[in-house]
This record gives sequence, C-alpha cells and structure tokens, in this order.
Amino acid sequence: MSEYSGNEAVIMKNVCKDFKVLNRHEGLKGSIKDLFSRDYKTVSAVRDVTLTVNRGEIIGYLGPNGAGKSTTIKMMTGVLEPTSGELLVNGKVPYKNRTENCENIGVVFGQRSQLWWSLPLIESFKLLRDLYMVPEKDYEGMIELYRSLVDIEPILHKPVREMSLGQRTLSDILAAFLHNPAIVFLDEPTIGLDVSMKAKIRELILGLNKEKNTTVILTTHDMGDVDALCRRIVIIDKGTKIYDNDIEHLKNYFGSYRTLKLKRSDDTWEEYLIDEKTTDVMDVIMEKQKSMKIKDVKIDEISTEEVIKKIYEGSAK
Amino acid sequence: MNPKRLLAITRAGIMESLHFRLGIFVTLFANLIYLVLVYYLWKAIYDSSGTAVVNGMTFTDTMIYLILATALFNFLEMFVVWDMSRSIQSGKIVLDLLKPMRFRKYTFWSYTGNHIVQFVLTFIPTFVVVMIVTKGAIPVGLNLVWFLIATVLALMINYNLEMIVSPICFYTESTWGINIVKETIVLLLSGATIPLAFFPEKARMVVQYLPFRAVYDIPLSILLEKNGSDTWQGLVSLFALQLAWLAVLTLAGNLFWNCAVKKVTVNGG
Repeated sequence: MSEYSGNEAVIMKNVCKDFKVLNRHEGLKGSIKDLFSRDYKTVSAVRDVTLTVNRGEIIGYLGPNGAGKSTTIKMMTGVLEPTSGELLVNGKVPYKNRTENCENIGVVFGQRSQLWWSLPLIESFKLLRDLYMVPEKDYEGMIELYRSLVDIEPILHKPVREMSLGQRTLSDILAAFLHNPAIVFLDEPTIGLDVSMKAKIRELILGLNKEKNTTVILTTHDMGDVDALCRRIVIIDKGTKIYDNDIEHLKNYFGSYRTLKLKRSDDTWEEYLIDEKTTDVMDVIMEKQKSMKIKDVKIDEISTEEVIKKIYEGSAK
Repeated sequence: MNPKRLLAITRAGIMESLHFRLGIFVTLFANLIYLVLVYYLWKAIYDSSGTAVVNGMTFTDTMIYLILATALFNFLEMFVVWDMSRSIQSGKIVLDLLKPMRFRKYTFWSYTGNHIVQFVLTFIPTFVVVMIVTKGAIPVGLNLVWFLIATVLALMINYNLEMIVSPICFYTESTWGINIVKETIVLLLSGATIPLAFFPEKARMVVQYLPFRAVYDIPLSILLEKNGSDTWQGLVSLFALQLAWLAVLTLAGNLFWNCAVKKVTVNGG
C-alpha cells in the first residue's frame, strides 16, 4: 500500500464484502429443518468498490435501500472486515486497528444515539472528552465553536431522553465532532427531522467541515442534504459503484434533461422530463398546444432528486 | 492505561445508576421478602434437625451467611448477557465497538459505577444492620480489608463468567434460557443459596475447587473468618484459588470474545 500520500482520508481498492446467509425454509417444518441446516448461500453486499476520499471533502454516498452503503461505512469504521480488497482509513487498516481507528473517526447513525440516555448532554460531552483524551484547551475551543454555530444553551443541560429527535440528532453530531476526528461518518443524519431542523443541521455540518477541515462521508436519502452539502457524489447499487463524480456532472448523466412545466387553463401544472439531446422542447410545447390551452410555460433544470431517481430506476432494470 | 478515562466511565455509571433510584428501593424491598422466606425455611430445617448445630453452623451462622450472600448477590449481579444480547439484536453493539477503547475493558468499567452504587446502597446497609442485630457475631478487623480485596476479585471473576456466556448468545440468538441456566448454576454452586457446608461431602470436594465458589463463598468466608481464613495459610490459599480462576477465566473470556467479535466483523452479527 505505497500509494498513501497522507492526503487521502479513505482509500478503497477493489473492496468486496460477502455475507454467509442461512437458506431459510418456509413453515414450521422448515424452521425445524433450519436448526440443523448447513445450507448457506453467499450474498455479496459490496462488490469490487474502488474509491478515494481526500481530506476535507464532503462526499454524498448514495444508493437505494440495501445497496451496501451501511456495509461500506461499517468496513471503514473497522466494525466489519472486508472479504477481499484493500482498505485504508487515515493510512491504516481499520479492522486490524479498530480501537486506534476509532480515535480518529466520528460516527452518527441517524436512528441510534451514542449519548448517555439519562445524563444531561454536557455530561456526555465531558465523558467523551475523557474517553478520547481530548486536551482541556481543545475541548473548550470546540465548545466555543459549537456556540458560534448553533444555539446549544437550551440543550446542554437537558437529559438526552427528554430531547426531541431533532435536538438529539444535533447533539449526536456535536458529540461525533467533539474529539476533532479526521473523518466523520454520517448515516442518514436528517432522517425524520423537520425542515428547519434539517437546515440547521446542514449548516452545522458545513460549518464544522469548513472550520476543522473534517472529511465528511454522508449517506442519505434526502436530496436536500446532497444539494446543500456535497460537491461530490458516489452512488452504489447492488454493491457496485455506478457513479463517482461531482454533482454538476450528475445532471448530465443521462443527457441534458430539462423539466418542462406547462400551466393549464385551470391553473394546474403538467410536468414533462425532456432529454434535449433527443427531443426538442419547442416541439413538445407545440404538440401539446394542439390539444390544450397553455397559460404559462416554465423550463427548469432537472433536480438532483429526479436524476437520482432515474439512476436508481435505471439500474434496477 | 489512562486512569482519568476509567474514572470518567465509572463516574457516568454512578450517575446513571443513581438516576434509577427507584430500582434500588425495589431491590431492597424484594430482598426483604426473600430474606423472610429464607428465615422461615431455615428455621424449619433447624427445628426439624433437633440439634442447634447443623454441619458445623448454628442457625445464626447460617442466617448471617445467607443474608450477606443475598446482599453480595445484589451488588455483584451483572447484566452483561442481557445487555449484550439486546444490543446485538438492536444493532447498538456497533456503537459500543466504535468506542476508542477495548470493548471488554470499556464494558467492565461502565458497570463499575453501578457496582459502587449498589455496594454503598445495598451491601453496606445490610452489613451494618446484621452487625447491630447480631451484636458482634461478625469479627471486625483486618478481615474487612481482605474481604474488600476478595470482593473485587470476585467481581472480576463474575465479569469473566458473563463474558464467557455472552458470546454464546451471538450464536444462538436466544438469551433467556442460557442466562437462567448460568445464573442457577452460579447461585447454587457458589454457595449463594445454600452454604457450601450443607453440600454432601463428595459434592463439596468438587465444588470447592470450581470457580463459582470464588464469587460468593470465598469473600463471605473471609468476612466471617470461616473455612480457615483466620490463618495466614488459609487466607493465602483462598486468594490463590481466586487468582488462579481469574487468570483461567480471563484467558477463556478473551478467547470467547475474540471468536464472537470475529463473527460480528465477518458476518455482520
């Protein structure tokens, strides 16, 4: 592994991950049979993924449910061992040095909290400070930075179990950044949050990334997160990487798509997705005009959400 | 190892257990009921035996032993098996594995806070009450210091026993049955429910050298200056037994845990 130059947060080279799964049988009879069954099948969760993430990047790691995103993240954190391939995080093999690796990463799972449930947030912070052996000065500095980015006063002395989901997620993100890790993994951090909380959390992530040059690897199903945070996007599906480029290129992935919106006489909008390479927008408008009265016309750039949807659907075929 | 780190985890454990103070009162109340039951049961046994001394123990001896054993049990009781199986099923185990500390060490110290709280709030009051009620049946001297050391060793042995059983849950995905079996074996063979003196001669010979005894019987024997612990030789041999089992079980616990963790990291739990 000579190619590690110090500037890469993550290097993955032909990483594969297979799981051995018991073939379950149906019914009561089947369940009893399963007790003694040696009939395993191999499921490939991640296939031959090669990926380099540079320091300070925020990358969106996307894919439909069950695509292998969480498996990849678990491998990067050292909880899962790759079946084959090379994987370096901060220049080290994560599963071989799990404890050491953990000192340099932060993790937030949107549906789980690493905080101490019955204790006020500040106690969790202090505990994490001692656990990660953060020097007092750095800790104070971090809390100061938090204060400047979000209003933490109302949650600082609140027990975690009394927090709203939004406050808890916010706290979890702050906790993940507390020891100033080189990389932070955010697994669906905005799941189930309201619009304003989402905006707040995006702002916070962006601010922390800017201030501390933290590499952020984000998985999400919310394209708002992607638009607000990521310059680069990696998409995997069925364990295989199908896209890895910046967000601008994504829009041209299938050609130059435009959304054409036509306002009908009853003030409702009709939408059409048009590939400008194959069809002319004016032709469509003219064609439509023959059958209906058009009050207004709008041409929008395709949204990230729609491109992603097309990619997911395209690869599912 | 950084002591500040361990202290911080212990401190959080204390704060968390104090948070569930109602639970502590419930434990004390449940103990009371259990002890009433034990009292009448053993009273019946002694009354029917016709002699004041059975197997070298008077009724008072037996009661003191059993009361303290119960108090010790409350304080030594760990829920590693339960907690671990729950966190495997919910997937929370990933978060525990992501702490910048060895999992076994981290788990041990996160229970320590609870042990301290239980010791202060259940064991010490029980001990004081027994002392006052029996008016000096418990010797007070160096034995208290030895008792504390033996208890810490017992704690570590017990933790390793849990750590040997817990990984089994990784494989079977059923916890309840295994845990009950483990608990029953430990309580019976450790002398926590029946003093070892009441065991048949042959059974006692075997049980004496098993690790379970090191959890309850040895600390209690040392506290009550029984089983030869009032002599230096006796004391040393009891500690030697504890240390030997601690070494063996730590090794075994390590082995089991490494296999279990392999299963998680290779097959995702």
